[in-house]
Amino acid sequence: MELLSHDILIIGGGLAGLRAAIEAKKAGCDVAILSKVHPLRSHSVAAQGGINAALGNAPAPLRDTWENHAFDTIKGSDYLADQGAVEVMCREGIERVIEMERWGTLFSRTEDGKIAQRPFGGAGFPRAAYAADRTGHNLLHTLYEQATGLRIPVYEEWYALSLIVEGGRCVGILALHFFEGRIFPIEARAVILATGGYGRIYLRSTNAVINTGSGCFLAYRAGVPLEDMEFVQFHPTSLYGTNILITEGARGEGGYLVNARGERFMERYAPHLMELGPRDIVARGAQTEIDEGRGFEGGYVYLDLRHLGREKIMDRLPGIRQIALDFAGVDPILDPIPIQPAQHYSMGGIPTNVDGETSLAGLFAAGECACVSVHGANRLGGNSLLETLVFGARTGKKAVEKVEAEKKISQEIVFEEGLRAFLSQLEELFQRKGEETAFSIRDELKALMTFHAGIFRDKSCLAAAKEKIKELKRRFLKIALKRRKLAFNNEFIQHCELEGMLHLAEVIVEGALAREESRGSHYRVDYPKRDDEHWLRHTLAFKTTEGVKLDYKKVSITSYPPKERTY
Amino acid sequence: MKSSFLILRIRRFHKEKDPQQWLETFQVEIRKGMNLLEALFRIQDEQDGTLCFRYSCRGAVCGSCAMRVNGKDVLACRTRAEELLGKPALIEPLPLFPVIRDLIVDLSTFFDHYRKIEPYLRGKPISSQKEYRMEEEKRKEIDLYINCILCGICFGTCPAFEKDREFLGPAILAKAFRFLTDPRDIRNEKILEAVNGQQGVWGCKTVFNCVRVCPKQVPPTHGIVNMRGKILRYRLSSLFFRCHQRN
Repeated sequence: MELLSHDILIIGGGLAGLRAAIEAKKAGCDVAILSKVHPLRSHSVAAQGGINAALGNAPAPLRDTWENHAFDTIKGSDYLADQGAVEVMCREGIERVIEMERWGTLFSRTEDGKIAQRPFGGAGFPRAAYAADRTGHNLLHTLYEQATGLRIPVYEEWYALSLIVEGGRCVGILALHFFEGRIFPIEARAVILATGGYGRIYLRSTNAVINTGSGCFLAYRAGVPLEDMEFVQFHPTSLYGTNILITEGARGEGGYLVNARGERFMERYAPHLMELGPRDIVARGAQTEIDEGRGFEGGYVYLDLRHLGREKIMDRLPGIRQIALDFAGVDPILDPIPIQPAQHYSMGGIPTNVDGETSLAGLFAAGECACVSVHGANRLGGNSLLETLVFGARTGKKAVEKVEAEKKISQEIVFEEGLRAFLSQLEELFQRKGEETAFSIRDELKALMTFHAGIFRDKSCLAAAKEKIKELKRRFLKIALKRRKLAFNNEFIQHCELEGMLHLAEVIVEGALAREESRGSHYRVDYPKRDDEHWLRHTLAFKTTEGVKLDYKKVSITSYPPKERTY
Repeated sequence: MKSSFLILRIRRFHKEKDPQQWLETFQVEIRKGMNLLEALFRIQDEQDGTLCFRYSCRGAVCGSCAMRVNGKDVLACRTRAEELLGKPALIEPLPLFPVIRDLIVDLSTFFDHYRKIEPYLRGKPISSQKEYRMEEEKRKEIDLYINCILCGICFGTCPAFEKDREFLGPAILAKAFRFLTDPRDIRNEKILEAVNGQQGVWGCKTVFNCVRVCPKQVPPTHGIVNMRGKILRYRLSSLFFRCHQRN
């Protein structure tokens, strides 16, 4: 057995993973990244509209402050965010964004040459710093460049298969080298999960195909609970047909949402902020128009940018114009863009403190797979990129401290045993017989989640979803793998990912079924009001042999007592 | 919805097989708006689970799914299936790179060249509280080059890279130009030195293939020509400087 070893091993090479790696490397640690794709192919690259920080660069009657940013974030979260964590993010965010500029990110500029900021949903100030409408691309390339300069090693196109836990501590992982087909144990004194979201358990999702939530499942299977998973963000404007994201920046620049009757329907749902209401409210608005027959046939409404004019579109929104041309054959300069809501982001995830520590010693999490919780029940646009940088850096730093404090190296036998146990499970898997196929179960799951655990939920559809997932899990055991070799074994990878997707779906549905209130993105038609008395608390889902076990924990409230949320 | 059949002839490669390489024909039923990447997923799911290709964003921003389709190098996700109807479409891996498996190529040469130009900003030391001030016009100039997604497509049709695998290549030279143009970067001479030579800007045949095929409208050749001019001016000025010193 060949045992690979690092001080810190980071799973995932998107913004959070890279930022953590840079922090650790600069502190002199032996850090490596392991990712199933080349880091530049990570989903962070697809973020478009901006990254929030109270830089106060845009002309406004008052100067923006991080406290304003914190208030908007907490209100946007429908008061479920942990307020101390939000304050950390908004305070440190300013420095993190400026740091990115100094590392080379090509932000758009104001007239006096500062980082330009645009209005975003649910924000009281133009606060989203942007690089045209390719902010994620610009940030990710900058961080990858920095990581290249620091010579941070990357295990490219490797899959993390499981965590190795010894005596209540995560001591490493088992990983598959996809091209060689070999499983390697990798020892690490700190493992950081930065694997992103699970969007692909939904049929309609803006997420990349790689976003299967594998990191959340690694932690969940190792006994770490998942927090607030019923809070799933639906983005109001995904391109009809492919569900590729059309940035909120399009509305920030002045775009209108229009139904089939030509009405700017947001007047009904957020009369003050209109199209710039927070995402949960705008997504429900668009879906209501479609459901009540005021959309277009097939289920979409329009995002109209024509009045912005060619120049502004070409200057500020060139990326989405290209996407609309390439994937819908529509030029937004000349025609409105057909859009529909689609799953976009996971507010929930692996619970961590503000330093990325989880309940399992040696295991950290940052970025979308983590739940700090800064987004609560609904994330504001522009806060996810910020979260990756602030908590990526903090997690990297804390991991270094922990590694330095704990020099203990685990015994090789632990890894031998871990590998042996995994291989015997694998043998069992290869012995399975049956007629089921992974892709058909996956496709049924995706449709189920979009139509039964989507924007609008109620007891009966969630209960039906719960039953259906049980059935899919039974059928999952009847998938027979055709090939035993692990090199280039797409079927095996799909099988591993599907197992995680089924479990995450189960957690989402059970959390949603139990939460008898409406808060942020979680809207129960049968309980349309927020209920602070019973439900101002975080959900924790534990994996047990009997299935999901739910528990709850307190929300941290510092200076912003819950109020009614109107826009 | 109207359906029709797409016929794909895919160049397969499995190192351990004999023969290692073969052409295989698949038929996929397509629906309106479907793209080539989705068609490949359908094949992988329903017909042949061993078919290998790279993928991620499916929205032409990540650069994973570069491949050759009917002789042209494209992103599969950005290629409409409807455009390939009519006669069998030939799907091959991106050329000039070693094939790892089916449509997956080894891009290590590409990223080795990337590292050679030290693609990370070396800025002037300024306050950590404030950003560097930049004119929006300047940003637009750099923006053209920053849109590169490093997909490798431009290498596939580059005659200079075909002749010499040590040629830095269009995307990498465009990246060098991006840092050269950036007023925040202090390494002007060093960047020009790194691209000076036959394996740098002087190896380019200026046939503009890279400009034509780039899925993100990046114009590497324009940057290369610009850098040639700068190198010449730089040589000339240092020559003057030396003459001046002698006098």
